[in-house]
Amino acid sequence: MQNQRPLFQIQLLGDHAIVFKITTGGKDGIDQQLLAFNAFIENETIKGVKDMILAYDTLTLVYDILIFDANPYLFASQLLEKYIAVSASIQPSKATIRLIEIPVCYDPCLGIDLQDAAKASNCSIEALIQLHSEKVYTVYCLGFLPGFAYMGDVPKAIQLPRHTSPRAKVLAGSVGIAGKQTGIYPMTSPGGWQIIGRTPLKIFEPHSATLTLFKAGDQVKFNPIHLELFHQLNAHEDVD
Amino acid sequence: MSIKLIKKGLSDRIEDLGRYGYQHLGIQPSGPMDYLSAQLANAILDNDLNNPVFELHFPASIFEFEQTMWICISGANFVPVINEKSVALNTPILVHPQDQLRCLQPLEGRTAYIAFKGKLDSSKAWLNSYCSFQTTLNKEDHFTITSDPVVAISFNPFKDHLIQQVQTSLFNEHEIRFIPGPAWNDVDPASIRQLMQADFSIDAKSNRMGFLLEGPSIHLSEPKQYLSSAVTRGTMQLLPNGKIIVLMADHQTIGGYANLGQIILVDLPRLAQLNNHSHFKLSITNVQTAHQLYRAKQSWFKH
Repeated sequence: MQNQRPLFQIQLLGDHAIVFKITTGGKDGIDQQLLAFNAFIENETIKGVKDMILAYDTLTLVYDILIFDANPYLFASQLLEKYIAVSASIQPSKATIRLIEIPVCYDPCLGIDLQDAAKASNCSIEALIQLHSEKVYTVYCLGFLPGFAYMGDVPKAIQLPRHTSPRAKVLAGSVGIAGKQTGIYPMTSPGGWQIIGRTPLKIFEPHSATLTLFKAGDQVKFNPIHLELFHQLNAHEDVD
Repeated sequence: MSIKLIKKGLSDRIEDLGRYGYQHLGIQPSGPMDYLSAQLANAILDNDLNNPVFELHFPASIFEFEQTMWICISGANFVPVINEKSVALNTPILVHPQDQLRCLQPLEGRTAYIAFKGKLDSSKAWLNSYCSFQTTLNKEDHFTITSDPVVAISFNPFKDHLIQQVQTSLFNEHEIRFIPGPAWNDVDPASIRQLMQADFSIDAKSNRMGFLLEGPSIHLSEPKQYLSSAVTRGTMQLLPNGKIIVLMADHQTIGGYANLGQIILVDLPRLAQLNNHSHFKLSITNVQTAHQLYRAKQSWFKH
C-alpha cells in the first residue's frame, strides 16, 4: 500500500483557496472518492472555510485569511491524512447518489435549434431526442449562472459546438448541448448552447430553501413530454 | 423611506462584504470591488465593517435623503456635492431631508462608496447578504433605513491614521502582485518574460465580473484543454486570444480557461481603483507574504 499514488494532489489557488485534485479515476462522472471527501469535510465544519466547490476532478475550499490561521499546505495534507485514515473503514456508497428525472418538451417551437442540430448530427429529430433522453447524465459542477448544472457526457453522435456568437436571450428552462455537455438555463439569459428543448420545471428558486434543483454528483435523466403537458406544467414566469 | 434614488447611474449597487457559502450552487459571492474603501467608510461611521454600502461607478446615481442621518463617502473621488455644495471624502457628513447627493466628475479612482449610519430594511437581504443580486440600482429605488438617534460621530487620531493608510495603499502604491497558478508552467517562456516586464492597463470593456488587461499577447507552449474548476476573486485567466482577464467581485464560480495565477487579495482594491489609462506591472509573490500583508492591512481597522 505504501507505493500507492496519492489520492489527491494539493494545489493552492492564490492566497485564499485550496484545491484538491483527484489523481485516480474521474473519467466517467464525478469520482466517488471526491464526493466522499467532500462529505467528510462538510462534517468536519472547519473554521474559516467559506465555500466548498466541487467541479469535475477537483474540490476547492475557499477560506477567510483572518480566521483560517494555518499554513494552507500543511492544513491540506493533514486533512487528507485524516480522511484517508477514516475512509479506510467507510466504503463510498452509491446509495447517497440522487437520480433526478426532468420532464423536457423537445418540440421545435421550444427547442429552437432542434432541426439544425439533427441535421448537423446526420440523424432525424426523433433519433436525436432518443439519444439525448435515454442516457443518465452526471452533474459535474454548477456554475455560469446560479443553478446551472454542467452534465455529461452527451452521446458522441449528438455532441454539437456552441453557437459562434451567443444568442442575446435564451429562455429559462431551455435545455442545451455544448460539446460533451448538456445543461438547463436556470433563468433567461444570453447563451451560446444549442437549444433542443425546454423543461417546465424551475431549476433555480431564489426564495426556496434548497435554491437549486441540482448539486454536483447528482444523476439526471430527461423524460420527453408533449407540448400540451409542457404548457400545463410550465412554472416559468414568461408563459407564452 | 430614507434614501431615494432619483437618477440611475451607470451600474451602481448595494454591497456588503459578500455572500459566501453558495458557490457550489453557482451563486457568486459578489461584494465591493474595493473592499478597503467600503470598510473605511463604515469604520469612519463606527459601523460594523460588513454594513451594506452603496457602490458607485461614474456616472453615478443621484440620491435624495428623506431623513437626517450620517453618511460617509470613501474610495474614488467623483467630486461629490450635496445641494451643489462640495463635500469632503472620508469624513462623516450629516445630511438632512431633501438633501441631494450627486457626483460631478471622475477625478481619481474608479469606484466610490457611501456608507450610512443606521440599519437597512431587511427585505433587501437575500441569503444573509445585501449584495445586489444580478441587478443594479434603479430610479425610484427606496432604501428604508432605521437610523440610530443622531448622535455625534467620534473623530479621533486613530481614524486619521486609518484614512491615511488606506488612501496611501490605494492611490500611492502601484504594485500588483500575484501567486502563480496551475497553468503557469504551461506558459511559453517568452510569454512569461513579456508578462513580467510589460506595462499593463485595464481595457475599457472591463466590469464587475472581470478586468480585461491590455498588454502583450500571452501564449501557452502548446495548446491545452483544462477541466473547469473553481475560480475566485483575483484569478488570472488566459483567454484564447492571448489576453488576460482578472476575475473581480461578480466572477463566475467555475472556469475552464488556463489559470495563470491569482492576484493577491491585498492588491485587489488597488487594482479595482485603477483608471483605464493607468499603467501597472505584475510581480510574483507567495502565500505567506500575501497572508502577512492581508492580516496587517486588516489590523488597521482594529484599535
